[in-house]
Amino acid sequence: MLEAKKICKHFEGLKAVNDVSFTIEKGEILGLIGPNGAGKTTIFNMIAAVFPLTSGEIYFNGKLISNLKKPSDVCKAGIGRTFQVVKPFGGMTVLENVMVGAFNVTNSVSEATEKAMKAMDQVGLLRRKDMLAKNLTVSDRKRLEVARALATEPQLLLLDEVMAGLNPTEVEEIIPLIRKIRDDGITIFMIEHIMASMMALSDRILVLHHGEKLAEGTPAEVTSNEKVIEAYLGGKH
Amino acid sequence: MTNLTNTISKKNKHFSMNVFILVLAIIGAVLPLIWDNPYTMQILILIFLYAAAAGAWNIIGGYAGQVSLGHVAFFGLGAYTTALLYNFFGISPWIGMILGGILAAVVAGLISYPCFRLRGPFFTLATLAFAEVLRLLSIWARPLTGGQVGVTILFNPGFKNFQFFGKTPYYYIALILMFLVLIVSIWIERSKFGYYLTALKEDHDASEALGINTAKYKLYAIAISGFLTGLCGAFYTQLLLFIEPLSVFTSHLSNQFAMIAVVGGAGTAVGPILGSVIITPLNELLRGALGGDFQGLNFVIFGAILILVVTFMPNGLVGFFKDMKAKINHRSESK
Ligand SMILES: Nc1ncnc2c1ncn2[C@@H]1O[C@H](COP(=O)(O)OP(=O)(O)OP(=O)(O)O)[C@@H](O)[C@H]1O
Ligand SMILES: [Mg+2]
Repeated sequence: MLEAKKICKHFEGLKAVNDVSFTIEKGEILGLIGPNGAGKTTIFNMIAAVFPLTSGEIYFNGKLISNLKKPSDVCKAGIGRTFQVVKPFGGMTVLENVMVGAFNVTNSVSEATEKAMKAMDQVGLLRRKDMLAKNLTVSDRKRLEVARALATEPQLLLLDEVMAGLNPTEVEEIIPLIRKIRDDGITIFMIEHIMASMMALSDRILVLHHGEKLAEGTPAEVTSNEKVIEAYLGGKH
Repeated sequence: MTNLTNTISKKNKHFSMNVFILVLAIIGAVLPLIWDNPYTMQILILIFLYAAAAGAWNIIGGYAGQVSLGHVAFFGLGAYTTALLYNFFGISPWIGMILGGILAAVVAGLISYPCFRLRGPFFTLATLAFAEVLRLLSIWARPLTGGQVGVTILFNPGFKNFQFFGKTPYYYIALILMFLVLIVSIWIERSKFGYYLTALKEDHDASEALGINTAKYKLYAIAISGFLTGLCGAFYTQLLLFIEPLSVFTSHLSNQFAMIAVVGGAGTAVGPILGSVIITPLNELLRGALGGDFQGLNFVIFGAILILVVTFMPNGLVGFFKDMKAKINHRSESK
């Protein structure tokens, strides 16, 4: 579904992402892990056309998307994303926030309302629908990020640390939610630091270290990979 | 159940707004019949005109949050287009008004689009600079514009020439202009376009990620805003039958449009009307009381008002009333 070919992103000498290639298969959950500063969010930003690539190409459903100029073009192509640092429209209600997402696929206010209600229901935000987004708790803000992106009706959803900052109960709640999204037919590429939930959710995991791909495989393969243990897990403990 | 109550409360919200507009329209329509005093008529005409211009500013400055401090450029373009087309070619000011509006919209789009692709205060600076350039141009292009002396519209009253003896026709045209802007604003508020403008004001990156082509929607907003401001300028020409760079290209007017919207409530449909009801008479009063020296003091007084409003009513009068209403509702609920 998505194919990244030797993608590089350099920030004035800093090789944030260097020569990384990977593919995402339709219907899978692909995990992306790596220590802080490994370049994970940068990969999301490259897919989402936040900035141009230094080199390399990204294809989505066989079409080149790394030449798209605006993030909105990528969204329209069928890729939704959430932000690691959440970006709610603070002065709008939760419902209005999600409606903005739904307007990606409809021009009608009543239809957008309906779609938004569905997306809020999916992430368990319905009871907060008339609350101003700036008054939400951290965990509800994360849910709002997911609901808004879902409402755009993407084929591929990029989730950037939606579990960070949640307590263990909330993490327990969000895991089935993500699995449900995948079961509804949306392919997922997700960044997460919590290994346990990554193991539970991912079909495959991609490990990034200093901007380079260190390993790739099933959760079992990755966690038994010596390079990974040494560089990533080992380095942390 | 929640779905049902939601749609009902939505309907109610629209219902009270619609009633408010209807009442306002009826009062506006019958007022001249019972209170036909030339001085008050003049003030009311100005209130409507400034409400319309502030409402036009509000579309880009309020809803979309892109602060323009050069809207007088579009006002002046509308004014001069109408005046010159009539004086040179005998084109009816009604047509001149539309052409002036279109020219203002096109120019607004052309100067703004490059800025919309950049971050930061480029848009505000560009509008400010552009208005100044137009003012200087209108002084410099003397054979066309009469330079500093200005343009006097050839007097030949009649409906076709948009010139009337009494104040009443101007009153009704200004009223319609204000309602036009109000209705456009309400349409924006209730449509996808309005949601998108508010979203891109709140967060540019999130908006783009949700599929909003932010530059495109800002362009639409500035073009609509420029068009409506151009109409206001054209009306001004016909009201005074005399324009000069000092009156239709002065930065003072740009500030006034913005200020009226902010005082009334930026990003709301009725805010600019409320703002104009307060600020416009005050402005005329000061002009009368302080005479020729008023410019400087005027700035001090309006600067002070602006600071007070921004400090104590950050969402303008509309926001203030909403808060009051919410508090009263809250109190009656907790009883
Ligand atoms: N826009 C940018 N300009 C300059 N440097 C950047 C930019 N974005 C990221 N970087 C740098 O690139 C490197 C990778 O950052 P990135 O945000 O991708 O890391 P990450 O893997 O998501 O880390 P974390 O787990 O902390 O979120 C960091 O050193 C960061 O400082
Ligand atoms: Mg990150």
